[in-house]
Amino acid sequence: MPLSVSLSIEGDTTVIELAGELDADTAPDFHQTIEKAAGHGTRTIEIRMAGVAYMASAGLRSLVFAQQKVADHVTIKVVGAIEPVSRTIRTAGLDRSIVLDG
Amino acid sequence: MGDVRRRRGTGTTEPAAGELQVPASLGSLAAIASFVQAVAGRAGLDRHATYRLRLAVDELATNIVTHGYRGGTGRITVRGRAGAGRARIVVEDSAPAFDPVAGCLRPPADVPPERRRIGGLGIHLALTSVDEFSYVRRDGLNISTLTVKAEGTDPCPPRP
Repeated sequence: MPLSVSLSIEGDTTVIELAGELDADTAPDFHQTIEKAAGHGTRTIEIRMAGVAYMASAGLRSLVFAQQKVADHVTIKVVGAIEPVSRTIRTAGLDRSIVLDG
Repeated sequence: MGDVRRRRGTGTTEPAAGELQVPASLGSLAAIASFVQAVAGRAGLDRHATYRLRLAVDELATNIVTHGYRGGTGRITVRGRAGAGRARIVVEDSAPAFDPVAGCLRPPADVPPERRRIGGLGIHLALTSVDEFSYVRRDGLNISTLTVKAEGTDPCPPRP
């Protein structure tokens, strides 16, 4: 399954919506979108992952990249991740710096 | 405001008789995933066990492509066997010797996530997602065998 990535702004939140599968082959699209989102300068970046059926460590790398690209006061939220995906995020310890929202 | 869609890789060999041979490229990951999911299905693994097996093989294959062959040409052979309540996948490549167990770095709890080496985390995810893992170097091949059991408890810890 390919990955679809969309980017929009809702008030002071930049929303990245992902659907499909996030592996080393598809992650570059997510990576590029994060780069654009970081340039928007909103206080929150919300990554909606309810439609992501699978995520490998390449997705983690993109989330770490997101943290590095945004200013300290910007909150990054991951919303709607299915259990195996949020478990992978927790395994990497990323839930300590990214808000993981069921 | 953009929408990006990608087509997955082509140029792979169709799975036949429990074996898949693909070029060592990231474009082959989708074909490897389909193959693994088919083996898991034949073994009767549930959704979570299937996910764990797919994740492990995917991370291993990604590591072979990016670090084993270092982006150069090569092939990956994936064999599958569906037994009673278990699925076993054998992954072979002819890249320089690499033992995933010896090369695995556990995510250090005291290092902030943004400073961690995520590459090592992929292999850590692979090893902790399966119920059994073994590696041998034989006849110039790296041979990794991964097994997931249908009723196996999930060994993947919630936190490092």
